[in-house]
Amino acid sequence: MDLSYLFFLSSGLFLGWSLGANDAANIFGTAVGSKMVRFKLIAGVACIFVVLGSVFGGSGASATLGHLGSVNALSGAFMVALSAALAVYMMLRAGVTVSTSQAIVGAIIGWNLYAGKHTDIATLLQIVSTWTLCPLISGLVAVLLYMLSKRIQKCSSMHLLMRDQLTRIGLILTAAVGAYALGANNIANVVGVFIQSCPFKPVKFGNILTLNPTQVLFLLGSTAISVGILTYSHKVIKTVGNNLMRMSPMVALIIVLSQAAVLLLFSSVSLHNWLEASPLPTIPLVPVSSTQAVIGAVLGIGLIKGGRNINWGIIGKIVIGWITAPLMAMIICFISLFFLENVFNQTVYLVQ
Amino acid sequence: MFNLKFSMFSGTRDLEEKIDEMHDKIIESAMCFRQAFDIYFKEKRSLNYRRISKKMKNIEAAADDLRREIESKLYIHNLIPDLRADVLQMVENIDKVINEFDEVTHKFYIEQPDIPSQYQEKFGKLVREVSECAENMAIASRAFFRDFTTVRDYAKKVFLWERESDKTWAELKQEVFDSDMELAHKIQLNTLIGDVADVADKAEDCIDSVLIFTIKRDI
Repeated sequence: MDLSYLFFLSSGLFLGWSLGANDAANIFGTAVGSKMVRFKLIAGVACIFVVLGSVFGGSGASATLGHLGSVNALSGAFMVALSAALAVYMMLRAGVTVSTSQAIVGAIIGWNLYAGKHTDIATLLQIVSTWTLCPLISGLVAVLLYMLSKRIQKCSSMHLLMRDQLTRIGLILTAAVGAYALGANNIANVVGVFIQSCPFKPVKFGNILTLNPTQVLFLLGSTAISVGILTYSHKVIKTVGNNLMRMSPMVALIIVLSQAAVLLLFSSVSLHNWLEASPLPTIPLVPVSSTQAVIGAVLGIGLIKGGRNINWGIIGKIVIGWITAPLMAMIICFISLFFLENVFNQTVYLVQ
Repeated sequence: MFNLKFSMFSGTRDLEEKIDEMHDKIIESAMCFRQAFDIYFKEKRSLNYRRISKKMKNIEAAADDLRREIESKLYIHNLIPDLRADVLQMVENIDKVINEFDEVTHKFYIEQPDIPSQYQEKFGKLVREVSECAENMAIASRAFFRDFTTVRDYAKKVFLWERESDKTWAELKQEVFDSDMELAHKIQLNTLIGDVADVADKAEDCIDSVLIFTIKRDI
């Protein structure tokens, strides 16, 4: 295998690190922020399930991202991933959680513009529509779960301490599901642009398991996500924490559950196939933003409670971050591709 | 699996029991308080009164131990982090009510005030109202851990009994000062009546915080 591939892949791994640092806060930030679960335990669980989700469920969403712009040169893919990672990192440093999905879409469009390639408007619209659909569905799921939990709370006379303990277990389990969903849905953002130039060979683990080249690539990407979770997510959790809205552990659990449900909805190939076979409308397999899903869920619950506890200032800052991140990634990508091609003499796109 | 399940919830169950026991202690002390005054009116500082005063001391000591255990267990098992401070304050408030019952009972044992027979009925009424107030507070406080709506219902009862005890306290005080007793005797009775009525005030303070914690928990 060409070592230069690993060098170019490093930008994708950096993006994976950023995603781990940023999005882990969405999966278990509330659990750690509310001091219900220790960071080390839940981060460990999340790392395992992110890897599992990426390797075994990551193929669906990456195909859609490929339709938006098939970055066909390795150095181009390097710059696309690097631009997205830089945009996410800069926003993280500014204390704003952003969407890695949006950043990578912005960077791919930057590549398309630079390479003079046609951006598939239908796919772009499909992706952008999910940016609205994702927080909406998440909010709706959260409201339904919140109402259900309220009803259960009224009917049952479970002791506060027992409920607390069950919520704690629930938070760990949903963090596992959320991490699986994050891996399955967002691995496309991390290394999706490198699939076309993937040089890996299938890897066999005895007679039990064989990973195809794309899965090996996803394994590398998800390891980077895990490193991000372990090394930097705690800082993001401290910055973001419970700033959006004061929430009880039960609400925290509902929010993570809604986010996991939405992420799975947008990445489950089996569900997509089942919907396609039925007369029901299908749900596109698109990498969606876990940040948006969480914000949707928080807003949904906040609004049903009368909207008093919502910190609208922070929400506004996050929404501005959502617009800024893809734009920033697009501009960084466009300018950097120019330098990469003209200063470093790299082929950033192939003319077909 | 069974062992894992057992160890996962055993700390919680143990603490649940301790909190329940703490609430039982208020009910026990309220009943003991009533009994103590029944005996005092009949026998003043008799052996029976000494026994009941000792019993009250034991209840108070047991409540203190329970409070300490609950406090340490909440921290050791890292339970209810969001509500821990509230629960600790509740437990401390409960302990204060029990302490007050004990102090008043002991004060009567030490001071042996002479309560003229014409005031005994009203004094007994005040004791009953104060005890009712504390008992309802225990039910409301216990409900905080299981059922919100009950908290509100029993809190209302606490407020009603506290108001009644205030009325009785004011009437009794006036009657004492209108009487021909010596000033020193009047002042002594006034202080003791005030001490008895203070138990209801402490119970009311306790329920006020429980109501705030309930609202907080509902958010």
